[in-house]
Amino acid sequence: MHVFAQPFWVSKQGNEDSEYEDAFWPRKSVERRTTCFRCAVADGATETSYSGVWANQLVRYWCRNYSAVAFDPDGFRNLQQRWSAIVRRRPLPWYAEEKVRQGAFAAILGLVLYDDIDRESSGRHWQAVAVGDSCLVQMRGEEVLVRFPIADSAAFTNRPHLLSSNPAYTGQVVDHVRNMVGNWQADDAFYLMTDALACWFMRETEEGRTPWRVLRDLNTSDEVKPFREWVETLRTKGVMRNDDVTLLRVDVT
Amino acid sequence: MPYTAEISRANPSCFLFLIDQSGSMADPFGAGELGRKKADGVADAINRLLQNLVIKCAKEEGVRDYYHIGVIGYGAHVGPAFSGSLAGRELVPISEVGNMPARIEERTKKVDDGAGGLVDQSIRFPIWFDPVANGGTPMCQALGRAQAILQGWLAQHPDCFPPIVINITDGEATDGDPSGAADAIRKLRSNDGEVLLFNVHLSSQRATPIEFPDTEAVLPDQFAKLLFRMSSPLPAYMRSIAQQEGYKVSEGTRGFVFNADIVAVIRFLDIGTRPSDLR
Repeated sequence: MHVFAQPFWVSKQGNEDSEYEDAFWPRKSVERRTTCFRCAVADGATETSYSGVWANQLVRYWCRNYSAVAFDPDGFRNLQQRWSAIVRRRPLPWYAEEKVRQGAFAAILGLVLYDDIDRESSGRHWQAVAVGDSCLVQMRGEEVLVRFPIADSAAFTNRPHLLSSNPAYTGQVVDHVRNMVGNWQADDAFYLMTDALACWFMRETEEGRTPWRVLRDLNTSDEVKPFREWVETLRTKGVMRNDDVTLLRVDVT
Repeated sequence: MPYTAEISRANPSCFLFLIDQSGSMADPFGAGELGRKKADGVADAINRLLQNLVIKCAKEEGVRDYYHIGVIGYGAHVGPAFSGSLAGRELVPISEVGNMPARIEERTKKVDDGAGGLVDQSIRFPIWFDPVANGGTPMCQALGRAQAILQGWLAQHPDCFPPIVINITDGEATDGDPSGAADAIRKLRSNDGEVLLFNVHLSSQRATPIEFPDTEAVLPDQFAKLLFRMSSPLPAYMRSIAQQEGYKVSEGTRGFVFNADIVAVIRFLDIGTRPSDLR
């Protein structure tokens, strides 16, 4: 298969880019022929510290080890220990120490696309895993084939289940890991989105509009506005929550 | 819609606590606290609340100034009640609060060990506010001082999420009827709504706390009814927080608790200071 993946991101209004706490992988646009392609977006929780570090660890982990996120206990524990080592590199003031003790939290959405020529019927298939409210949409032309794990704009709340760097919370989240599989065809598109964008997308769809067109046209000659400017307009209109926003667009042929 | 302004470093909000420091605060709570002085219980609750607010605003680079915080004591004197290097300051950015506690005590806390058990963990407990119990209850003066402080704050932050004032007292004002001063505070407003004034009455008797009432009819005496009338109705987002915490609420529900024990104080402070939209 031929994969073309492009990330788009913008930090929340009023914050510096260095304060962006979403994460995505691959980090840059990639275009390649392959039989297996892994990608992910993650969303570090604003209320926790070092959640950007944690979100980055999660997407890299997903993309480098397909043993997946929460259900490989050893690998996941190693990831948590690494986070703890990274954030404790220097002495911390009392409040930062307490925040580190609480742990960082993040949502993740991971996708793997396969083009397995040895499997006749379902050679072109995909698997996705999600914890929290980052979402996957699969498009075929003008049809929304899949919305995962949330399909309804009203279902976006401020308290999703998230993956924590604190081992005390690992057990609680295992029940909330969602999995999905599907097939793809040439010219399908996959959009991996963190919650503010995903919520906007679902609402637009529910109200009979065609939000995929603007995502499809980003960074092409049909683009209405560059991503950052476009997000800014939606925030100003009050139709998109002010949050870090990430889109990973994957076109496959 | 009011009470929806985003709380950010560019548009911070503020909390102002008014703490009764009259002589009767040296008396114990009425029930269940093993003779603990009200002044000690309130000081612990305020210190824990400040700690939680600092932690809530802490990020890896430091504490973000989402709030400015003031603590006004009223008893033998009326004025700012921070101890240590913040003494004498009225409203302090929360980053300074975080970085300048009067002292840090070591305490022990039981935490989940991740394997189904509990382990003791030593934690640092910062102290900003020490218990005082001396003199009368000059509540009118304290409310007047709060009104002046907030007037200045609102002139500088016209679009802020409205400041929240929490008055904690164990008795009637000794300097007149506080209704007028309370009205004056509640009439202050930002472009996002009126200042919220909440009242917490501490019990010296064995009595069940009356939390978040929506009518005077459930209150036992004129003093309780006065405090009820002085208290702001809860805005919608706070009603839903109270509801999630198991309280029965209606549109008439006010930010008021009568006959609070220390548990009710902590629960009330938690609900009354939870942010609606922290960015």
